[in-house]
Amino acid sequence: MGDATREAEPRVDGKDAQVNQDVLIMEQQRQIEEEISDAIPLVGAKEDLLGTLEKEYISDPIYSMKAKDLSSKYNSIRRTRPDGNCFFRAFAYAYFERLLTCKDDYKGFYDIVSKSKDDLIELGFPQFTLEDFYETFMEVVERIGSGDMTQDELYELFNNQGQSNYIVVYLRLITSGKLQRDADFYLNFIDGNRTMTAFCHQEVEPMFKESDHIHIIALSAALNVGVRVRYMDRGDSAQVIAHDFPEGATPAVHLLYRPGHYDILYEQ
Amino acid sequence: MYYHGTGAAMEQVTALLARAGPIGSSSSAPTSSSSSSSPPTSSSSAPAIAGTSAASSNVSAPGPGTSSSGTVAVPTCKPSSQDALRWERRLQKELMAFVTDPPPGLSIDADATSQNLQDWTVDLRGADGTLYEGENFQLNFKFNSKYPFDAPQVMFVGNHIPVHPHIYSNGHICLSILTEDWSPAHSVQSVCLSIMSMLSSCKDKKRPVDNSLYVKTCNKNPKKTKWWYHDDTV
Repeated sequence: MGDATREAEPRVDGKDAQVNQDVLIMEQQRQIEEEISDAIPLVGAKEDLLGTLEKEYISDPIYSMKAKDLSSKYNSIRRTRPDGNCFFRAFAYAYFERLLTCKDDYKGFYDIVSKSKDDLIELGFPQFTLEDFYETFMEVVERIGSGDMTQDELYELFNNQGQSNYIVVYLRLITSGKLQRDADFYLNFIDGNRTMTAFCHQEVEPMFKESDHIHIIALSAALNVGVRVRYMDRGDSAQVIAHDFPEGATPAVHLLYRPGHYDILYEQ
Repeated sequence: MYYHGTGAAMEQVTALLARAGPIGSSSSAPTSSSSSSSPPTSSSSAPAIAGTSAASSNVSAPGPGTSSSGTVAVPTCKPSSQDALRWERRLQKELMAFVTDPPPGLSIDADATSQNLQDWTVDLRGADGTLYEGENFQLNFKFNSKYPFDAPQVMFVGNHIPVHPHIYSNGHICLSILTEDWSPAHSVQSVCLSIMSMLSSCKDKKRPVDNSLYVKTCNKNPKKTKWWYHDDTV
């Protein structure tokens, strides 16, 4: 631990050390992010649920019990990178994957998203940048619809940072649009006295900002896609509680929530 | 009032730091390692950096044989060649839109900019009827290959820096969309307009209260300051 002594040095001069702290913190933050991105793909391979979770929680009775409960309902899990975009990325991947095989849902979804751009422009989103994201998003949607996309291609696409992030951004914009359009309703769910527009600018539109219930409700409602989230936490219930968004909807996407993070689940 | 500073923001990352262990070394070393990767391609433009210095300190080296080119084990998440074109294409489109339909008070040398898309200098003219009427300024934008997911580095340059409570005399600007509230839906144009409106709504031309201290001690890159935003009025 030779570093300990060196670490103490800069504290001598308060002002100077403070500025260096900024740089230090950011550098370290960058390193942590890099470690995460080197270790965890944006979207991982499908893994056997019980095997994976049991191994992970071998010395944790509560989580082990919950893993068992979960495995009575789900076969597999697909991890996503914990980079703050995990809800959006997991949602998009899981739903697109479903659309590959479930053609019945495609038409309705296509109609909603192809209309979304004009709705967002009407709400005052800058047309220029919006179009960029919309086009990339629709390219992918159309490839899925025309049958010109395999599972492997979808997987590759979502692990291509540029394309994957373009999709995430567009979902963030759709979410923001929904929150602003129905601000009267959604304002009930946010703390403080921020306006809905300010909330969206700060918590929804920027990349890497984590999602809360309000993001999930708005996105699932905007796209009319039911999402079931399974909550795995330290609570003492033996079961992994489910929440459906929007309430009462038939889930098309199943996600596992563990504090701070979403992964994709596959039903039996 | 805006301050640059380490208060609230610092608390947020304390937990992160605690988890990650002590910061390796102090004052001099990190500054040098960060300046080596500063503009125009700051932080981590993966392909170039992969083999070099600091970046190779990743936790899970993929396997003994594969040192430098080695993200093979994990599905590749590094920007591909397609991504490399993506930021260029976006900036080209932005430039074209800017030139064909320049926002009022703003102009740009299209030829010079298209020579190097990662570095833009925008001429900005104080709007009529504001405290900056008739004044001319220059805003510099630097982009890395992660644009538009990474915010550009934006500051005033040249010998005339606006006197404004959120603009430091070294050209650094305290504006949240340039750091933590940056969204890929912003653009050069929307950033310019935000800065214009920040100038136009100013009622008292003066420097930030902590100007001299900040200017003396800050990093050259304003994105390396942990800004602390708490004023929406100016």
